[in-house]
Amino acid sequence: MATVATHQDAHSGPLDNRKLLMWLFLASECLFFGGLIGTYLLYRDRSTDIDGPFAHDTTINGIHYTGIYDIPFTSVSAFVLLMSSVSMVLALAAIQRNDRRGLQVWLACTALLGLTFLAGQAFEFTVFVHEGLTLDENLFGTTFFVLTGFHGAHVSVGVLILLSLFVMAVQGKLTHKQSLNVELAGLYWHFVDVVWIVIFTLVYLIR
Amino acid sequence: MRLGRLSVRYVLFAALLLLSVLLFSGCGVFSSPQNTFAPEGEVAKMQRDLFVIVMIPALLIMIGVFAAMIYIVVRFRRRSDSDPIPEQVHGNTRLELTWTILPTILLIGIAVPTLWGVIKLGNQPGAEALHVTVVGSQWQWTYEYTDAEFLDANGDPLITTEFYIPVDRDIALEIEALDVLHSFWIPKIAGKTDAVPGRSNDMWFRADSPGTYAGQCAEFCGIGHPQMKAELIALEPGEFEAWAQEQMSGEPGGDGAETPESPTASP
Amino acid sequence: MAGAALEPRPTSVAEALRAARRQAGTYNGIWSWIATVDHKRIGMMYGGTAFLFFLIGGIEALVMRLQLATPNGTIVDADQFNRLFTMHGTTMVFLVVMPLSAAFFNLLIPLMIGARDVAFPRLNAFSYWVFLSGGLFIMSSFLTGNPNGTIFEGHLGAPDAGWFGYAPLTLPQYSGGHGVDYWALGLVILGVSSMAGGFNFAVTIINMRAPGMTLFKMPLFVWMTLVTSFLIIFAMPVITVGLFELLFDRLFNANFFNVQAGGTPLLWQHMFWLFGHPEVYILILPAMGIVSEVLPTFSRKPLFGYPFVVFSGVAIGFMSWGVWAHHMYTTGLGSIANSAFGISTILIAIPTGIKIFNWLGTLWGGSISMKTPLMFSLGFIAMFTIGGLTGVTHSVVPSDYQQQDTYYVVAHFHQVLFGGALFGLFSGIYYWFPKFTGKMLNEKIGQLHFWLMFAGFNLTFQPMMILGLLGMPRRISTYSDGYGWGFWNMMATVGAFMIAASILTFIINVVVSMRSKERAGNDPWDARTLEWTIPSPPPAYNFAEIPVVTALDDFWHKKYIEKESGVVVPAMAGAANGEEHHGDGHGIHLPSPSYWPFVAALGPVIMAFGFIYDFALVPAGAVILLIGIYAWALEPATEPE
Repeated sequence: MATVATHQDAHSGPLDNRKLLMWLFLASECLFFGGLIGTYLLYRDRSTDIDGPFAHDTTINGIHYTGIYDIPFTSVSAFVLLMSSVSMVLALAAIQRNDRRGLQVWLACTALLGLTFLAGQAFEFTVFVHEGLTLDENLFGTTFFVLTGFHGAHVSVGVLILLSLFVMAVQGKLTHKQSLNVELAGLYWHFVDVVWIVIFTLVYLIR
Repeated sequence: MRLGRLSVRYVLFAALLLLSVLLFSGCGVFSSPQNTFAPEGEVAKMQRDLFVIVMIPALLIMIGVFAAMIYIVVRFRRRSDSDPIPEQVHGNTRLELTWTILPTILLIGIAVPTLWGVIKLGNQPGAEALHVTVVGSQWQWTYEYTDAEFLDANGDPLITTEFYIPVDRDIALEIEALDVLHSFWIPKIAGKTDAVPGRSNDMWFRADSPGTYAGQCAEFCGIGHPQMKAELIALEPGEFEAWAQEQMSGEPGGDGAETPESPTASP
Repeated sequence: MAGAALEPRPTSVAEALRAARRQAGTYNGIWSWIATVDHKRIGMMYGGTAFLFFLIGGIEALVMRLQLATPNGTIVDADQFNRLFTMHGTTMVFLVVMPLSAAFFNLLIPLMIGARDVAFPRLNAFSYWVFLSGGLFIMSSFLTGNPNGTIFEGHLGAPDAGWFGYAPLTLPQYSGGHGVDYWALGLVILGVSSMAGGFNFAVTIINMRAPGMTLFKMPLFVWMTLVTSFLIIFAMPVITVGLFELLFDRLFNANFFNVQAGGTPLLWQHMFWLFGHPEVYILILPAMGIVSEVLPTFSRKPLFGYPFVVFSGVAIGFMSWGVWAHHMYTTGLGSIANSAFGISTILIAIPTGIKIFNWLGTLWGGSISMKTPLMFSLGFIAMFTIGGLTGVTHSVVPSDYQQQDTYYVVAHFHQVLFGGALFGLFSGIYYWFPKFTGKMLNEKIGQLHFWLMFAGFNLTFQPMMILGLLGMPRRISTYSDGYGWGFWNMMATVGAFMIAASILTFIINVVVSMRSKERAGNDPWDARTLEWTIPSPPPAYNFAEIPVVTALDDFWHKKYIEKESGVVVPAMAGAANGEEHHGDGHGIHLPSPSYWPFVAALGPVIMAFGFIYDFALVPAGAVILLIGIYAWALEPATEPE
């Protein structure tokens, strides 16, 4: 009994507090994105705006409309985000083996890939707006911009976290004792990545 | 602490007394033109009966629980601080399973009439039903009689702001809304159905006897919500035909070929 | 042993305590409250704030009761009435019952599980400050929420579309001004607060239990808090999505609820009730936990069938996700959906019934001491029984077509949320008041408070049941003569003022009791759980030594010995608190005070004002939030010794 008692503030759970917090947060986020994706799917074919841009190639009354989605372009940016998950894994591996240089390189790389994805999204949004698809134009625009916009906001927060970690790493404040920080950022980053795969599949690929 | 016990009894007696006075005096406080317990139509009757079927066992359970609680509190009250510490009973699995399974059976018993009622209300009304589209808008109801006999020369339905129906005939409603949510409700005739913009909800009912039945919008719809009444006037079939003829002839499109014949449809 | 060896070890417990005291006094006066991360202080701030909001919500209710007391009431007009009932619902749900429960989580959870604080003390402070700012934000809508002018020009602001905010009435063309913006933004802010609390308590309960406290040795209140935390974690995001969609529609002309563009108002209802029904259990489960602590103490018996009560609570948590559409029978979901949700509503009555029977089983054969906390718990059981049974009547879909949106429903959910949740919370207030103030609440005034509130409650809400059956719809600001509703409404109004009198009695009780010189002692009720082992009020560090738990109701088992014959006798004097010392004192690490959670909490509310009045404030608020979070993340969590 005495040995148990000396473990002061003993954690009876197997997971570190902060890691458990992150997992619960991500579980909660699943419901958040679930709500947004559910809305998109519910409204998929309900838009009453028959002249507005369509997501995919559509023929109405013999008139053919070209879909607004640029699948090859979005595939590339999805691939970029996917690759950033790989570099995130490498960053964590680097800090765990106390490789300061590797940590800096891979954190920067992940953040840059994330920024690339965001730039792609900004470009895509701009093109869509020029083609007449805006938030208030029709139901499709509303659901599309809000869903992908919230995802983009999550990526932005992730990039901010990565850049903060990068600065700390450069200042030498991030050593392998704090590898949990990188691990937590990684959990978040992978989650955001997985959500994009779901969105990309349900919104862009499935017709 | 004697005081506490006495006051339990006082309050209970007073409550019982008040309740019985109210129940048996019949002093008019239980009557209302929108009383759901005084139904005047098949649907409302069925809804009242279903409620009573559930309310009676619910009241019995409530009385049982209250009686048990009072009995326990009186019997096992601590008389003095030197009372022995009771036996530390941690539970009784058999007893607990019993009071899990018994209510389950009782509740399944409730499910049966529920499903029966849902199916009955989900049924399509009879073929000879009168079809009316009820449209809610801030803050009034309009009624469109869409059956062939009510169409004018342009094929437009008869539109009124008063709801006349014949008794003893199924009335099939399509309920729609122009702006915000509303809910169409004539308590003595049938429960409510929401009017949802962009949707059309079905509902049917039947009035047993002629009369004027009060109702009102039941879904909050803004400042005019309390004033958004819905009055239903049920007429004998002959009178209803006469009313319909009068309405149709009053319509600009209702003249010409459709001029009144004498009501042949009256029983 | 290896883990403990890393800790710098003071030579004695006394020295560790002195160190902890020094550290707790870093800030003084009001700053010590703004910078506090002590769960007990945060809990008290939660409780005090929620009580002030309770008074506001109560006054709103009284005005409405006055208006409805007689036919053709003229106290307020329809517009004002709509704003009042919207704010009454919003206030009572989000600013009273939820934060009062949060107050109990804060005060009790670390003490009940034998911990020095919650898992994330600064996140906890953040929760409180966000709650306060969100609450004040919503309340400020009274001033400027009306499209026709401010309250100083005689126009009551505040949202006017109901606490349920059904689209499309919430869209700008039907609800002008900023009332609904305040409401939606405020609820988003409060959601952040609740979720932060939910995460914190879930982690605390899972990870921070004292050695030996396995899941099935946790007090029932801890269990119910765990279930509630998970419900919050999963339910809040759903309403947040709905609120964001509404805000996009209102602020940026999006089309989520625009019927012309193809949207459907029913989407809002699904989202709202998918959140809203778990929310009902978020409100009631903590009270059930409190009752499950009070009954054993005052009948000197363990909770009857502890595992059954735990599992029924967990079952309620799961099932609460499958009943949301019973709020929507009349929206035209179709017979199949209605049948399914009718049956799931029937099923959720089973675990609820189990709890009531087990509570009665706890009392049976006990040595029942009719003190005020127990009176409120008994009141809870009685009123909640009615609430539960009237809930079963809602599962009968066809008859619910009659009761939906009538006063019958108003009566039903007040039976659950007032007769249930609030009676349970008051039971908890009377029970734990001595623990956190060191003073007992006066017993005689307490009994008066109970009987006034109990009688007032029944006088208010049982007539509403009859009113509903007599066909009186909800949310009407007035009714004419000839509907036969005047008598019952007058009765309800009288009852409402009786409730007000009971609350006044409670306030007097608190004042009188706090002035009394009598000290409560560590364990005034002869209770069963860990919080009663430590002084009242507890020291900043809670436990001088982290307890080792060997049983459910551990403290009771240290005080009493059960002989094989079933006879229970007190353990030898001194054994209760004189547990053999484990020799070494360990360093007591208290989290350092921090004012960054307070700073960070200013961010969201500034952003919210920005969305309403000037978008330039939005980035400003975001920057403040970021500064707060960065400073918070970079400062050391525990002061070095």
